[in-house]
Amino acid sequence: MDISLRINGEECALSVPASRTLLEALRDDMALTGAKNACNQGVCGSCTVLVDGMPVNACLVLAVNVTGRDITTIEGLGEGGELSVVQQAFVDAGAIQCGFCMSGMIVSATAFLAHNPMPSRDEIRTALSGNLCRCSGYVRVFDAVALAAQRLSP
Amino acid sequence: MDFYQPTSLDAALALLAADPEALPLAGGATLVAMMNADLVEPSALVSLRDVAELQTIEAAADGGFRIGAMISHAALADEARLGGGNEVVRQAAARIAHPQVRNIGTLGGAVAHGDPSSDLPAALVAADAAIEIAGPAARRVVAAENFFEDYLTTALKPGEMVSAITLPVQPEGAVGHYEKFARVHGGYATLSVAVVLAMAGGECSHVRVALGAAGATPVRVDAAEARLLGSVLDADAVRDAAAILAEASDPIDDVRGSAEYRLMLVPRLLGRALAAAEGGA
Ligand SMILES: Cc1cc2nc3c(=O)[nH]c(=O)nc-3n(C[C@H](O)[C@H](O)[C@H](O)COP(=O)(O)OP(=O)(O)OC[C@H]3O[C@@H](n4cnc5c(N)ncnc54)[C@H](O)[C@@H]3O)c2cc1C
Repeated sequence: MDISLRINGEECALSVPASRTLLEALRDDMALTGAKNACNQGVCGSCTVLVDGMPVNACLVLAVNVTGRDITTIEGLGEGGELSVVQQAFVDAGAIQCGFCMSGMIVSATAFLAHNPMPSRDEIRTALSGNLCRCSGYVRVFDAVALAAQRLSP
Repeated sequence: MDFYQPTSLDAALALLAADPEALPLAGGATLVAMMNADLVEPSALVSLRDVAELQTIEAAADGGFRIGAMISHAALADEARLGGGNEVVRQAAARIAHPQVRNIGTLGGAVAHGDPSSDLPAALVAADAAIEIAGPAARRVVAAENFFEDYLTTALKPGEMVSAITLPVQPEGAVGHYEKFARVHGGYATLSVAVVLAMAGGECSHVRVALGAAGATPVRVDAAEARLLGSVLDADAVRDAAAILAEASDPIDDVRGSAEYRLMLVPRLLGRALAAAEGGA
């Protein structure tokens, strides 16, 4: 099926089978491999992308069902080769271990901070409850989100 | 696999009627996960994404609500108008999984799937909701209590769809509360208790209680509510009501808890749910 959607601000036309997930389309057709494929069941969050600004598990969404939508992946967060404030905060807080879950974490955190710019620690934990880190390095991830919130505040 | 994106309910129903192996696609939170695991292979998907009739929350003139099948859990959780007794439904939606799944999953999909460990069925039974069903020949309405028939089995017949859920006007002063016990935040419930409670002069004047993850369908028993009605929700009344509910429960053993453990949770969670509702009533 021929579909068109916006990915990281660019109009994209794709031809995909109806059963192809958005995650497969991004990784295999668009070579955007930042969103990771791990559980393929919506449990781990490593494939998190934004659809019209809202975080979703790209493995549970069919590409043909997001025609005309605005998709943002980790590749679309920075501008002009610079990391976004949230990405930089993750680096500075030392939140990254093996790195596999990071794009999902950062995409979730970015959407969350857009809605809740001054979150409490508990709100941060709840907002990231759909993103698993098997290195179990959550403490610095929460530190990173708090740091990003602080840097983004006017 | 074929894929259709109709823009009206009638067109969606016609597509489903034309192909018995076709399935409606709501968000895909369950359906796409099952396709990814090779558990289902529909011949066609009929996406409900662009069916405008399924996307609205209407406040009825009498104080009740009509909520379209395609309303996401996130939108339901954010619906500030759902207060009083109907708050139980809003709270249940807010406790489903995590932000990503709440943005994908829908009220209609959750109801049609009929998973007894999911959160909305018990809340809808406690709120005395009704399920609006649209079929190729006719529309009909089934009380939530009669809609969930068995494990993953509902009153839906082939070719039928859930079009909306209606919530009634709750009794004056009623408060809803959804008490979910899960191993981790966002996990499926080990056991849950949904209550709608009203108090008058310190005594219980209205109560509906339904348990989730306690059997193949939500568990609700007239006698348990009768025991609470007119009481001051003292420890004896709560204990007796919980015993009646536990007697009617038939939970399973799984990774979320043994059947024995789940039964042990019934009195504790019922007590907590009633106390929380009473605190607000
Ligand atoms: C990782 C994960 C965690 C979850 N955790 C929880 C939880 O804690 N609590 C909880 O309650 N739920 C949980 N869920 C379930 C989730 O919230 C959705 O309610 C459920 O997956 C249904 O999703 P959907 O609305 O996208 O329906 P779909 O996946 O699109 O459809 C599900 C089924 O219903 C049918 N269907 C869809 N819409 C209709 C309709 N209007 N009429 C008739 N049939 C229809 C489809 O054909 C399909 O058979 C979880 C799901 C995932 C993936």
